[in-house]
Amino acid sequence: MDFMTSLPYWGILLIIAVNAVIVLRMDVTLDDESDD
Amino acid sequence: MTSQMIEYLAQHWIVLLLTFIYLVFCLWVGWYFRARAEEGVESFYVARREIPGWVVSLAFFSTFASTNTYIGQAGKSFQFGLSWAWVGLFWAFFCVISWLVLGPRMRQQTARLGSLTIPDYFYFRYNSDFARAIRLLSAIVILFATLWYMVGITKGLGHVITSVLAIPYAAGTAAVVFVTCAYTVFGGMYSVLWTDAVQGIMMFAVAIIMVTLPFIFVGGVDELMLKISETSHIAKSGEPMGNGLVTFGALVSFFYILGIGLAVGMKQIAEPRCLIRFYSIDNARSMKFAMIWTPVFLGISLICVMGLGALVHGMATEEEAAYLINNTDEVVGFMLAKFDNPIISGVCVAGLFAAGMSSLASVMLIVGTAFVKDMWDVVSDVPEVKVVNYTRWTMAAYCVLLYGVTLYPPAGIVEMTAFSGAVFAASFFPAIFGGLYLKWGTDLGALASMIAGIAGCLVWRLLFRFEYEALSDVHEIIPAFILSSLIYLVVSKATSTRIPSDAHLRRIFA
Repeated sequence: MDFMTSLPYWGILLIIAVNAVIVLRMDVTLDDESDD
Repeated sequence: MTSQMIEYLAQHWIVLLLTFIYLVFCLWVGWYFRARAEEGVESFYVARREIPGWVVSLAFFSTFASTNTYIGQAGKSFQFGLSWAWVGLFWAFFCVISWLVLGPRMRQQTARLGSLTIPDYFYFRYNSDFARAIRLLSAIVILFATLWYMVGITKGLGHVITSVLAIPYAAGTAAVVFVTCAYTVFGGMYSVLWTDAVQGIMMFAVAIIMVTLPFIFVGGVDELMLKISETSHIAKSGEPMGNGLVTFGALVSFFYILGIGLAVGMKQIAEPRCLIRFYSIDNARSMKFAMIWTPVFLGISLICVMGLGALVHGMATEEEAAYLINNTDEVVGFMLAKFDNPIISGVCVAGLFAAGMSSLASVMLIVGTAFVKDMWDVVSDVPEVKVVNYTRWTMAAYCVLLYGVTLYPPAGIVEMTAFSGAVFAASFFPAIFGGLYLKWGTDLGALASMIAGIAGCLVWRLLFRFEYEALSDVHEIIPAFILSSLIYLVVSKATSTRIPSDAHLRRIFA
């Protein structure tokens, strides 16, 4: 399998990992908190 | 007759039993939430914004992914090779964008505005007489565009039932439509979200099970990869595939991948059935959980299914491959039949049911709410106490219409489904994004961009795409999305006198 064919498979994993890091560093607040 | 029945049951009892348990469970969930859904419009429409993050996360995943993904797209890689997973990469990217960029703001603003549907968000956000027109136009787009999507999903499920259980198409599709209708009508958003969550778990498991089957069948990872890396199977062009299954761009152009990747992936940032999920989430911790885990559920599933068809080449003879290359929707069914394990088939069929019904239920609710709250109530005031019942009757009537069209589906339903996705993305996204982020966005900007998005899709498709060979792989989503976004910016700037009042904006953006 060439590099460009394999890219989406590990690329999806990379996107998931980068997203997790971004979200963990984000400050998410909502007005009507019920238990947070 | 009796011996035929016994023979039939002996052959299909596991699949029938699992499917029956699954359908009864869905109906039970709907019945269980019946009373809570009846407490008011907010309960029925958005489950009073009290649903845990893991439920909403799984519900988003199962709503977005459907039989189109698990059967249609998985089968496409039989024709296009492992490169087809690029489509999944785009989808995973837009899932992240949807949750990072739209999720928290949408939940925040819709709660502040008391918005219960996507069209009424436009109305409350842009706050004018034109905003009423935007609300009506978006509701009309929802009613028209979703019908083809629902017919496509139901038709796909009907064929699965016919091929796996030998049940007539009309009976199979009736079961799918009316069971889904029943639990959605009973429990509204509560039953949609909770059944979606269970369906999401099933779909995630089934994606992982399905991708292992070709490897087990052939006898290992190296053995299968070796087999598909050089094959004598004939491509659709008539030439032998050779190493095309594992070579980038050998069997499909990148522009085509880009078009499908954008047209379908962008549904996550524009289609009401996905965006309405943000409304129901209960708190910030849940929001963060869903922001992290939804791309995980979707991404891992896409890694498993988007290249599945290419792997099935390892299970097929040359004659079988020659048939399947022209009938890629049958690739997954072929794989299950060839693997020949009734328990695996039963679990996978239940998963395919879940994939279809989760999307159907979400869209049914969107249709009911759009018609009653965003059309009927706008044109002639509907008393608050009657909204839930009217919504239920609308959904039931729409299901009858859906069933009728499913029995006689128009030609090119798959194309119409993809086209409706492009219309949603091009016509809804600028107004949503502008509404969430741009204080200077105006009602006229939103209305003009919506009209430009619809017109752009139609014009590109009818006058350019299929008229010029060089443009045939450029999906209408690309020019229409660029056009509608530009129109939103230009018209909003040009009509700055129509920016809502400071007090209104402070309430939204505080």
